Amino acid sequence: MVTAKKTKKTHESINNRLALVMKSGKYTLGYKTVLKSLRSYKGKLILLSNNCPPLRKSEIEYYAMLAKVGVHHYNGNNVDLGTACGKYLRVSCLSIVDAGDSDIIKTVPGDN
Amino acid sequence: MVKFLKPNKAVIILQGRYAGRKAVIVKHFDDGTRDRPYGHCLVAGIKKYPSKVIKKDSAKKTAKKSRVKCFIKLVNYQHLMPTRYTLDVDLKDVVATDSLATKDKKITACKETKAKFEERFKTGKNRWFFTKLRDSSRLMLLNQVEWPCSRSGTRVFLVLDPDWLTVD
Repeated sequence: MVTAKKTKKTHESINNRLALVMKSGKYTLGYKTVLKSLRSYKGKLILLSNNCPPLRKSEIEYYAMLAKVGVHHYNGNNVDLGTACGKYLRVSCLSIVDAGDSDIIKTVPGDN
Repeated sequence: MVKFLKPNKAVIILQGRYAGRKAVIVKHFDDGTRDRPYGHCLVAGIKKYPSKVIKKDSAKKTAKKSRVKCFIKLVNYQHLMPTRYTLDVDLKDVVATDSLATKDKKITACKETKAKFEERFKTGKNRWFFTKLRDSSRLMLLNQVEWPCSRSGTRVFLVLDPDWLTVD
């Protein structure tokens, strides 16, 4: 199976889309709230940083598999994902509840 | 989103006295109730798993080994791990929220679920549900998938689905 290497362009577009979600949409940051959003069927897309602990990553992926929600493995660690969210903190996992004006939910799971 | 915390879903209890036990959701309260303002569900689970029955066993011994002890509990969603398995046992009329009101109602509900679980175990279906979580052969393959249950101190080795979890 050929794994397509993520180009700089698509990475920037994800950052742009994420910035738009932060501005106009609803999201939750952090492992506990991500699971809450999956259990309450509100989460629409999950993003995980690349240094998310493997047990936590598998757990979130399992929940998302049950809920049929897309999971995107962000190309960057939790520091980068936090910066992409415009926060001064580290974000290992985040859940997008309402994308607002962004089309991240339609386009991003296809790239993965 | 697909609703997955539905009746007949097999779950694993993560906290409390029954941590590490498998249970089946009987009734779910996604938005909670006035007494419990959080998402929770009524589960019927296995307190004591049936032992391994071998061909050599006499009829009396298989009957003794196939016994299942049940519990009924209202559990917060946070203290459950949903799985991809389901258990199609009709427990709606047997177990209800008012079964937990008094002790003798609880006992009768437990006895009836015990009968249903034992009947299902004897058919040989839903084998995953009636096996204890600590399955040593799978543990060796997936020993990195470990689930610490903080309060009860037991360590639950979560063997979800060996085909799904790929060991890189």
